[in-house]
Amino acid sequence: MPASRSRSEALVLLVALALPSVSLGSEPRVQNHLEARAMKRATRSSLDVALPEVDLVRDDGRVVSLPDELNDGAPVVLTFIFTKCGTICPVMSQTFGRLQSTLAGGRTKAHLVSISIDPEYDTPARLAEYGKGVGAGLQWHFYTGTVEATQAAQRAFATFRGDKMNHTPVTFLRAGLGSRWERIDGFASSDELAGELHQLLVVR
Amino acid sequence: MALRTLTLLVLLAVPVAGAGATPSSSATERLYRQGVLPSGRLLSGDREGMMVEGATAACATCHRRSGLGSWEGQTVIPPIIGRYLFRPGARNVEDVDLPHVQGYVPRRDAYTDATLARAIRDGVDQQGRKLSYLMPRYKLDDPTMASLITYLKALTSGAVPGVEAETLHFATVITPDADPVAREGMLGVLRQFFADKNAGYRGSTPPMRSTRGVMYRVDRKWQLHVWELSGPPDTWESQLEERLAATPVFAVISGLGGATWAPVHHFCEREAVPCLLPNVDLPVSAEQDFYPVYFSRGVLLEANLIARQLREDQAHLRLRRVVQLYREGDVGQEAARTLGASAPGLEVVTRPFKGGDLKTELSASLLDTRADDAIVLWLRPAELAALPSPPASAAVYVSGLMGKLEYSPLPPTWRGLARLTYPFDLPEQRRVRMDFPLGWFKVRNVRVVDERVQTDTYLACVILSETLGHMLDSFVRDYLVERVEVLLSHRLVNGYYPRLGLAPGQRFASKGGYLVHFASADGRRLAADSGWIVP
Repeated sequence: MPASRSRSEALVLLVALALPSVSLGSEPRVQNHLEARAMKRATRSSLDVALPEVDLVRDDGRVVSLPDELNDGAPVVLTFIFTKCGTICPVMSQTFGRLQSTLAGGRTKAHLVSISIDPEYDTPARLAEYGKGVGAGLQWHFYTGTVEATQAAQRAFATFRGDKMNHTPVTFLRAGLGSRWERIDGFASSDELAGELHQLLVVR
Repeated sequence: MALRTLTLLVLLAVPVAGAGATPSSSATERLYRQGVLPSGRLLSGDREGMMVEGATAACATCHRRSGLGSWEGQTVIPPIIGRYLFRPGARNVEDVDLPHVQGYVPRRDAYTDATLARAIRDGVDQQGRKLSYLMPRYKLDDPTMASLITYLKALTSGAVPGVEAETLHFATVITPDADPVAREGMLGVLRQFFADKNAGYRGSTPPMRSTRGVMYRVDRKWQLHVWELSGPPDTWESQLEERLAATPVFAVISGLGGATWAPVHHFCEREAVPCLLPNVDLPVSAEQDFYPVYFSRGVLLEANLIARQLREDQAHLRLRRVVQLYREGDVGQEAARTLGASAPGLEVVTRPFKGGDLKTELSASLLDTRADDAIVLWLRPAELAALPSPPASAAVYVSGLMGKLEYSPLPPTWRGLARLTYPFDLPEQRRVRMDFPLGWFKVRNVRVVDERVQTDTYLACVILSETLGHMLDSFVRDYLVERVEVLLSHRLVNGYYPRLGLAPGQRFASKGGYLVHFASADGRRLAADSGWIVP
């Protein structure tokens, strides 16, 4: 609680002070099983995700099961955002917007999934409005739900950091049912994400 | 041909047309905060080919209104005020008047106007290094750039009202129609908290420093000013301005109102005074405003909760009409209006009463009630207690907040029928959390006369104290609000609330509630009809 938090904050502060760059970068690099090319501002790793049996509410107001929504066989590109996020999420959503256009030009029919980590503020109506602002099409949906359900989703993908303000840029890709998820920490470009997805589909 | 090339070069050298007059300071503020260029066009920035525009591109979106920066996850956003940029980073933070913030980078050269312009245009810092990818590159013309640099030089650099070398001044605001019992309760908590705070004051010793150059918190005394308003609401704003001019305060901590809070809200916003408001039943719903911060939307949230429940109940209870009762001029009036506007498909009638003989007026209000009616009661405890026997109606919804929650004196005949809005955590679920404030009241001998108001007040004081602690010695009003935004959702122990959270553009910290009913015709035990609902 407060005491330990301020201490850890002080520590992060010291780390921040020690680095000349304004950005601290992302998670430590994990060796990639695909040995694909390096991304400019992101690192990849892969993981199995046990999807929790929780209901989320989609931006069109429909209550959907998280596993059902992700397990229809199509490739999935997933991230966590919140609509009032100032710095990271606008970049992530813009990248998703570009990825959406890139994929629309090709044959890959992927789901783009953005799950809110501020679900009590991000009502379906606010998410729909946000989606409109970032040009989300039919393949891209935004999800909210109870605090418990959205935290369960974050925990399953190992992105839960206790609070929305601690979040980091992270994207997950999966070629289809039965495949592992690829985790990309950092700001991958839309071309890099499209390349990663393509690679996953080829390997599969 | 040669001439054409030359023209092209000249065009390239002048980044954007519209050069000429220097933009006004308000135009530059608009650029900084909202991403609107002096020409009225949207500011756009380039993030390696990804364009950002307007508010997304505005400086304040990341560096914040104060210019003191922020952080998100592991991304540190450095301060950009002139006092920081235009002098070299000090190893031991010798610049004690320089706000010490998280993004502070020691060991760096000072920017000049030219290198800062280069950083903004080309993304190259004062030492020739590339700036982070997250920092867009902006094509600003020379006059706009000059005005932006002038703006940054002045930003967050003046003396802060209410901040003295040894004392921080705070005010609390009480309107003449505030509940006198709640007023005593709130003031008791505030005075005790301030006394506790000052008991730990170390005196005017020099600030402690560690060998790492991180300055520890500078303690200052806290002084409370109680601003009791008088007369009609349309005079409150000027009364507050007079008080502020006579006794500048750094922030407003808590406050109690009655029928309207709007004049206080507008005062906070216009005078740029952060107002941390835990006890307002009818706040102003204007989340674009920066300075007033509320714990909850109060009765407006309750209206949304009831509206949502009505939509759910409408078909199976065969509801046709909503009958709303409130005392004229009380907060129920606005709540009833909000509910009326969000109950589609239902006839909505309102029955304001004046407050003569309560029993007679309430009976008259309910006289024509039908079996397909939903009755909504925006009533205070004394009014609830005066209700006649319940009429034949399909459903009854009661404002829990106005009726004092489980302490509501709702007559036994109504208890089986009524569903109460409960915009707090349920008593059983908050029991352990409540040990903190209740224990503090006990050891400090604070008489508990209004548990909720006092708990909320205590919580607001704790939040203020924690936030100021995190701010180290950077007592800047905008920064206080920005820090509360970031830090609030970290808290786990929040008195009556299951959780609190804010963000830029969010001004109501708790966002949901329950619908409950009394478990028996007497007693205070409640049973929830729903999970936590965010309407």
